[in-house]
Amino acid sequence: MKNPNYVSLSCIGIILASLAFPLLVNAQSNPSLSDAEVASVAVAANQIDMSYADIAEAKSKNTKVLKFAQTMKRDHAAVIEQASALVKKLGVTPKDNAVSKKLLADAAQTKKTLNDKSGKVFDKAYIDNEVSYHKAVINTVQTLLIPDTDNAELKQLLQNVLPALKAHLGHAEMLQKNVVQ
Amino acid sequence: MKGFSYRWYGYIFLELIIFLALFNAPGTRKRGKDLSAPRVYTVEISGMKFNPAALVVHQGDKVMFVNHDLVVHDVTEAAKKSWTSSPLGVGKSWSLNVQQSAVYYCSIHPVMRGSITVK
Repeated sequence: MKNPNYVSLSCIGIILASLAFPLLVNAQSNPSLSDAEVASVAVAANQIDMSYADIAEAKSKNTKVLKFAQTMKRDHAAVIEQASALVKKLGVTPKDNAVSKKLLADAAQTKKTLNDKSGKVFDKAYIDNEVSYHKAVINTVQTLLIPDTDNAELKQLLQNVLPALKAHLGHAEMLQKNVVQ
Repeated sequence: MKGFSYRWYGYIFLELIIFLALFNAPGTRKRGKDLSAPRVYTVEISGMKFNPAALVVHQGDKVMFVNHDLVVHDVTEAAKKSWTSSPLGVGKSWSLNVQQSAVYYCSIHPVMRGSITVK
């Protein structure tokens, strides 16, 4: 009777280890960013979601999806405006880096995928992507951008943006559950 | 004795003036009225939340919503959309004259909700 339990525990251990391994690799490969690089990632992340919203506005006919896309454009534009004003005040010039380049490369692929879809299939793909994208951005802000930021005002702005990102995620999950099933 | 009487009447007259001044002074009247006057409550919008999210008020009280957040919000009655503010830009405010209890939300960010209860 003991052997099956050992087998089960071993299997669970292997599964957990295999799940944790990519996370550890990812954490170790995360570069340390300067404030100029943090600013670049923050601006890129906001611009990417605005570009997804542009596609939604061009392709969707669902009023709730369209209203969500308008909100994304308006909110992320407001964040970019405040980030731009702050980096100007601080004399920081956003600097491209591995993280911002990876975000932009992934976004190009996602935009291609979204542009290939239409109708309800597009609506579902757009909202599903908004859920996963906001989860990824929230994680990046919490675990990479905020810890790596030296300037107190830039760090505060990133902390202030988090509730908006979480509200966007909650809104997208509402649509995912009730509108684009 | 006659002089004393005039002085006595003078004191009474003075006391009358003081009494009338105390009980009819504008400030005194205002304080008396304020006990039953409508109150003004403030709900601050910040961090994608209404703060406080739950208010208990009397009918006729006012609730002023002030947007101190990073982005535009609105305040909309949830059940029948019977009242709504226009979109409130950053730093803008809007007041509601409360007539009945209501659950409200931000129609731009539907995860933001609050309530007003009339007691």
